[in-house]
Amino acid sequence: MKTETLIDLLARGAGPAPRHAAARRLLPAAGFGLLVSAALALALIGPIPAALYATPVPWMKLGYAAALAAAAGWLTACLARPAMPAVRPRRALLAVVALMALLGVVGLATTPAGERLAALLGHSWLACPWNVLALSLPALAAALWALRGLAPTRPRAAGGAAGLLAGAVGAAGYSLSCPEASAGFVAAWYTLGVALTGGLGALLGPRLLRW
Amino acid sequence: MPEDASPDDFESGLRPLWLRAQDGDDAAYREALARIATRLRSYLRRRMQSLPDELEDLVQETLLALHLQRGTYDASVPVSAWVLAIARHKLVDLWRRRGRRDDRHDALDDVDEALLVAEPDEAETQRDLARLLQQLPAAQRQAIVLTKVEGLSVAEASQRTGASESAIKVQVHRGLKRLALLVSKPDKP
Repeated sequence: MKTETLIDLLARGAGPAPRHAAARRLLPAAGFGLLVSAALALALIGPIPAALYATPVPWMKLGYAAALAAAAGWLTACLARPAMPAVRPRRALLAVVALMALLGVVGLATTPAGERLAALLGHSWLACPWNVLALSLPALAAALWALRGLAPTRPRAAGGAAGLLAGAVGAAGYSLSCPEASAGFVAAWYTLGVALTGGLGALLGPRLLRW
Repeated sequence: MPEDASPDDFESGLRPLWLRAQDGDDAAYREALARIATRLRSYLRRRMQSLPDELEDLVQETLLALHLQRGTYDASVPVSAWVLAIARHKLVDLWRRRGRRDDRHDALDDVDEALLVAEPDEAETQRDLARLLQQLPAAQRQAIVLTKVEGLSVAEASQRTGASESAIKVQVHRGLKRLALLVSKPDKP
């Protein structure tokens, strides 16, 4: 086949390029992951008492998860496109984590010294990161599948970003079931759970993101 | 395009064509792809001295990948950077398939576009389009032959086959995707 023949074939009737290709694949994946992880959290772990929604506690967690998901989704969308710079979304992601860490430190600093460790560890610090990771798996599968239809030329970084996005989605689902109240707890253990999912995504990226 | 065009000239000549192509100008798209093919040939030739017979195969694979992924182009990025990122990706993929993980990876970090020299020779691969098309499912083959080989519009192809226009578009896209998969398999001609 002559290359010219191929070019004719590709160009003929090609029409306009698809628009917003990254968002059109990643947003449904994140939405699907959120639904599944919320349903799993409510069904398997159980909902927190409704009265808690009158306090800032679940909203802090949901807000953190939403900000993380926005930054990680932006990063994933950049890494899904060849030659697209990813510096700004990386900074945004670090800023979100730093802000939550700051809130956690302030929260612990204003807690009486004797209760700080209890506030940081809560009742579930051992389970929280693993629950976040487990509830992130549906979103991780969906996000990696979405990436396979795009053009990630940096597969490890793209897989890691998809993992962070999925981790944030899983954290949002878990916050519907998580009884812990301190900002320090969220800053430490939610972040660890999201980071674990990111690490898993980075491991899977080079294997799954071939095209 | 003059043979000694500098990379800046390449980008400035390609960009307006590419942006028009992205908006649906098929003639501009054909011209853009032809210029890109010429650049790809010289870019890859320098990096494939151990696999000269596969040069044109990889040029064609890269063109197919560019086409299938044209939705991932962002106007904030130089077209040539986007093209070369995909070409590099396809080159790494080829080496992995060939089991070559040696020092040639060094060449990948070298994105210096000044090394690119236009090489306008027309080239051909051993692949046969008709045979490739034979390997597609009937609906995909028919959609591609009608719209891409015979040059019917999507509406005409829809009338001819009884399939909806969106179904034709989907079959064309899937068929090209499968074609890209077929040409990247080492054992298939």
